[in-house]
Amino acid sequence: MAKHRRIRPVSETVLLEGRNVWTVNANPGIAVRGESLRKFRGVEHRRWDPNRSKLGAGLLRTRNDPSLLLPDAGSTILYLGAGHGTTISHLHDHLCGAKNRFGGRLVAVDLAPRCLRDLTYLAEHRQGLVPVLGDARKFDAWGVLIPSRVDWLFQDVAQAGQVEIFLSAVRRFLSKDGIGLLSLKAASERHTEGGDEDIFAEAIAQLSSEVELLEHINLTGFEDQHALFVIRRR
Amino acid sequence: MWLWYSWQSAAVVNDEGDVLDVEINDARFSVHGAKERLQMIAEGHLPPEAVVLKERFPEAKPTAHGSAELPEFDIPQPTASQLQVADEAALLLAKEGVAVSAADPDRRLEHLLRASEELRTLHLTMEARLIEWVGLFLPSARFERNRTQVAGKLSSVDSLSAFASMLDVEDAYEQPSDSEWKSLHDWATMVSNQGRQLDRLEHAIRVAAQAHLPSTSALVGPLLAARLCVEAHGRSRLARLPSGTVQVLGAEKAFFSHLRSGTAPPKHGHIFMHPWISRSPRWVRGKIARMLASKISIAARIDAFEGTPLSQDDVDEVEAKVEAIRKEFSKPPRR
Repeated sequence: MAKHRRIRPVSETVLLEGRNVWTVNANPGIAVRGESLRKFRGVEHRRWDPNRSKLGAGLLRTRNDPSLLLPDAGSTILYLGAGHGTTISHLHDHLCGAKNRFGGRLVAVDLAPRCLRDLTYLAEHRQGLVPVLGDARKFDAWGVLIPSRVDWLFQDVAQAGQVEIFLSAVRRFLSKDGIGLLSLKAASERHTEGGDEDIFAEAIAQLSSEVELLEHINLTGFEDQHALFVIRRR
Repeated sequence: MWLWYSWQSAAVVNDEGDVLDVEINDARFSVHGAKERLQMIAEGHLPPEAVVLKERFPEAKPTAHGSAELPEFDIPQPTASQLQVADEAALLLAKEGVAVSAADPDRRLEHLLRASEELRTLHLTMEARLIEWVGLFLPSARFERNRTQVAGKLSSVDSLSAFASMLDVEDAYEQPSDSEWKSLHDWATMVSNQGRQLDRLEHAIRVAAQAHLPSTSALVGPLLAARLCVEAHGRSRLARLPSGTVQVLGAEKAFFSHLRSGTAPPKHGHIFMHPWISRSPRWVRGKIARMLASKISIAARIDAFEGTPLSQDDVDEVEAKVEAIRKEFSKPPRR
């Protein structure tokens, strides 16, 4: 490369290059959402757009080791509020790899049929991705797909009571010492006098009472009114 | 005592986490079989293994896998092949759910209504352009009376001179070039087709709304009923709205400006379209809107719970009320 930007591997398939995150494309030649594809040492990578993915933004913003935010490759993870699958596709790159060579399993739940339409399409080309059409709060309906507790859980649902939903999901599905990430959208909670800061402060109090809060990542700039909380189950 | 169950196994556990009895189905499921099992769980039914245990331990409380209430115990795990089949089944189930979502009349009505809105906007701008365009060449033609017919007439002729003689006006002094005329003619064809398309769209909306919202359609007409339903994001959500919200649905800008800066509150939103309001004198519109909104709320709830639709008599009764309000306040209030 002409320009020598510092390349830092986060995992076998994820690397940080300057202000960009890249993952090894598990479905070579195909960009999921028009993101740039580029070869590093002959291996095709997809750019993880931090403006579209809160986890991608978190990787850039975190003050700790970014690899703490990612699950172990080849494990089973649960993702609530999957959306159209931008973050999911990169997680899949990391967790499962091409033809699921790491043997990972990614259970992605979303309520909207429109989102599931994109996810099922994604799942056809990416083994190990299990899309579920269901309410993230109605654990009984799809919980049987998680036979044993997972070590990594992500929640990004934009509805009131996000912290409560997250905590009950943690209680049900996250193993002891497992890592949970909560992407909190302040605008989805009831409006309070103190504004977003108040909502975040309340969320911190609520989380700390039950789990160990590892980091509070402010996503302003990438996604306004959002914060990413990293927790570990006690 | 708990009856834990998953899609292929079940166990009876006491509060200390001791497994008293267990039923595990370690058969090789087909994807279809697993899908049926997953569906069963999602609908809240017990799998056959749990039914067997339920007979043996009637006092055990059936609890789906993963419930926070369950004590910690050694949970029976599915085999690797079962896990794989379950994943395939989940994908199948998701695809099926997506396909079935097209049956939701709310979603279909929304596309129909938004399509007709977008087409109408486009149609009006294109029609205005057409009339200005033709008027440039035929300055003596006046289109004030029959704007809507210009497109149809122009698309039926094959030269501007023919159109001029059809309208009985002076032929153009400056003729358009050949390709210019063709473009103008295409434009006119498009505008006249849009008129037909709009009629078809509105017919489709009427049919859909009368099936989906029979009471609301009978009360305020299918087009307004459809609009209210779409603005409320669905029939069941419309039924949940307080009628004060139904009254100002569509007047969000005025309403929030009222909340923020204390301007006058809006008296009506989309329901203003209804002639009972728009054709009433200014000073009774608010009163009629308030009354009509409450009736719409009732009608929407009848629709949402699929009760007996409002009859013509019911609608006449509302109309009589409208008349009564108009009569009672026949004079504008003194300022």
